[in-house]
Amino acid sequence: MTSLIEPTQLKHSLGDDGILFVRNDSIFDTMVKTLLLVASMIIVAALLPIQSSFSSPRDLDLIIYPDGTTHVTTEIEVDPFLTDYELNLFGSTIDNLVVIGDNEFLLDTDIIDDSVLIQTFGTTVISIEYDIHDLVSKQGKLWTFYLDSPSDFKLLLPQNSAIVGMTNLPINMEIINDQNQLTLSSGKTEIDYFFSTNTITNPIVEPKNETDYFSYLIIGGIIVIVLIGIAIFVRNKQKNLNSVEHIEIPVKNNILNLETIFKLKPDLREDDKELVKFIFNNDGEALESELRKKFLQPRTTMWRAVKRLEREGVIEIEKKDLQNLVKLRKSMEEEQ
Amino acid sequence: MKKLALFTIIILVFGTISPSLDNQAYAQNDPSILLRIAIQADNQVVNQLNNIYSNQIPKNIEILYNKGHTAVNSLDQSLSNDDIEKAKQDFLLAMNSFMQISRIISQSSENVVVKTTSDISNQKISNELDRLEKYVKTLESISKRHNDSAQNSDNFPKAYSLIKEIRNQITTGENPSKNINQLKIFVDSIKNDMRKSAAEKQSIAIKQFFERLIDQIDQKVIQVKDSGIDQTEIDKAKGLILEIRELLSKNQINSAKIVYSELKVVLKNIEISVRIT
Repeated sequence: MTSLIEPTQLKHSLGDDGILFVRNDSIFDTMVKTLLLVASMIIVAALLPIQSSFSSPRDLDLIIYPDGTTHVTTEIEVDPFLTDYELNLFGSTIDNLVVIGDNEFLLDTDIIDDSVLIQTFGTTVISIEYDIHDLVSKQGKLWTFYLDSPSDFKLLLPQNSAIVGMTNLPINMEIINDQNQLTLSSGKTEIDYFFSTNTITNPIVEPKNETDYFSYLIIGGIIVIVLIGIAIFVRNKQKNLNSVEHIEIPVKNNILNLETIFKLKPDLREDDKELVKFIFNNDGEALESELRKKFLQPRTTMWRAVKRLEREGVIEIEKKDLQNLVKLRKSMEEEQ
Repeated sequence: MKKLALFTIIILVFGTISPSLDNQAYAQNDPSILLRIAIQADNQVVNQLNNIYSNQIPKNIEILYNKGHTAVNSLDQSLSNDDIEKAKQDFLLAMNSFMQISRIISQSSENVVVKTTSDISNQKISNELDRLEKYVKTLESISKRHNDSAQNSDNFPKAYSLIKEIRNQITTGENPSKNINQLKIFVDSIKNDMRKSAAEKQSIAIKQFFERLIDQIDQKVIQVKDSGIDQTEIDKAKGLILEIRELLSKNQINSAKIVYSELKVVLKNIEISVRIT
């Protein structure tokens, strides 16, 4: 409570001998903050190159048609300071190639064997779509898909196809319109499949994979942090409110009661206290002339007393019909 | 205030890390998928064996099948025991065995005719048409985004009507190859028109990019002048730069691009990078 009426200069005052005292907790605080900032920057710096590395497909989706032709869709980040970008296609028999840039304008392309030269001219991301006949081969009734992929990819198998062999571990598998969609990791992948009339007799229930749980965990984590933050914020707010309430609770009928005033101003002179009592009992206000009459004080003595109380923040003076109207202040926090 | 700042930093750091964490999580397997695929493959192989061999399955295939089937059972067991590494091994073993069986079957049944030739041919044409339709739709959506609809207002409906006609031909058993070729040529012409329109719309941006690039290349050529590089190559580069500038000033961007590809070869010879900064 007393800290509220403490002169603020005390907090920063120098010792008598002029030694500058430095607050250790501030240094500690600054150090922690700096460390935290540095750590954040390192993490951000470490992650940025991964997220913005050029020439790596951001998405790679493949759809196999029943005749073995594969539709490839991919998005690649390219260097915006180059005029063109050469992309290795997954084969040389390409149809229906569409390449669009940032502004979704068609970009000029030139297919040379199994690569395509795309004129990017400042574009940062290119979206590519094409059909390719080189990824699936057929022997008898067995179809074999083969791809050496530079990144993880999604593969949608034709309807009524049944996988009978594969060389890689799939990351995920789901059913889309009665078709198996596999998510596979980068590198060489070979998948054998047959067409069958009773392939999806036991429909594969959409897997509830670990990713979902992990996503929930991340979202939960964020919510918990936000809640903790809110709790800390509310608690601090309440602390401040409580400290204010100590002053404001006793306010009734817009006037502080005497006990509160004397508690807050324990150093008031006894004759000043009498003045305050009188004003309080007079509905919180009195003319300076009334005070002089009541306490039989000369004009200057009463003027000094009123000024003293004004300085203490107990009363305020207003002009009324060319006279001084002395009023008890409604709240003393205004001066804190 | 300090706490608020700290809290903000934590949120920022967490926000930055979380997407990468999610990617890592995504890269993990759902082990139950392995069992589902393996069981599906097992059933399919059994169906194939029954269709082809009935009860007289060759010994080598029987051994392979038993190996694969045992691996599937082991996979189920491994998953029950939460032994993921063992489950992965079992899965690969099972799928490898089934793959070998399938390849043996497919070699021996190469002559088995499942569908008539015309059916297969129709399916191929139908698939090709599906892809062409998808291609047309992609071009149409790009065209719409750039308000090229006025230019292509007749083109896309014409393409769709041709696709419809070809589908009818497939259904009635007519030979649609002539119409398919016509459709391909027509769609290519739409694409070329769109490309020309895009080039016009982007010409200012490309020109500015080009001019900046040529300025920087010119600077680099001047810098390497006295570093012992073949003077004829430098002169050649300078001549091409001059030519590109002239073409750009006449807004002949496509011609400038052609000359630039020549310049790139020369620059490669004199080891100058063509990346602008």
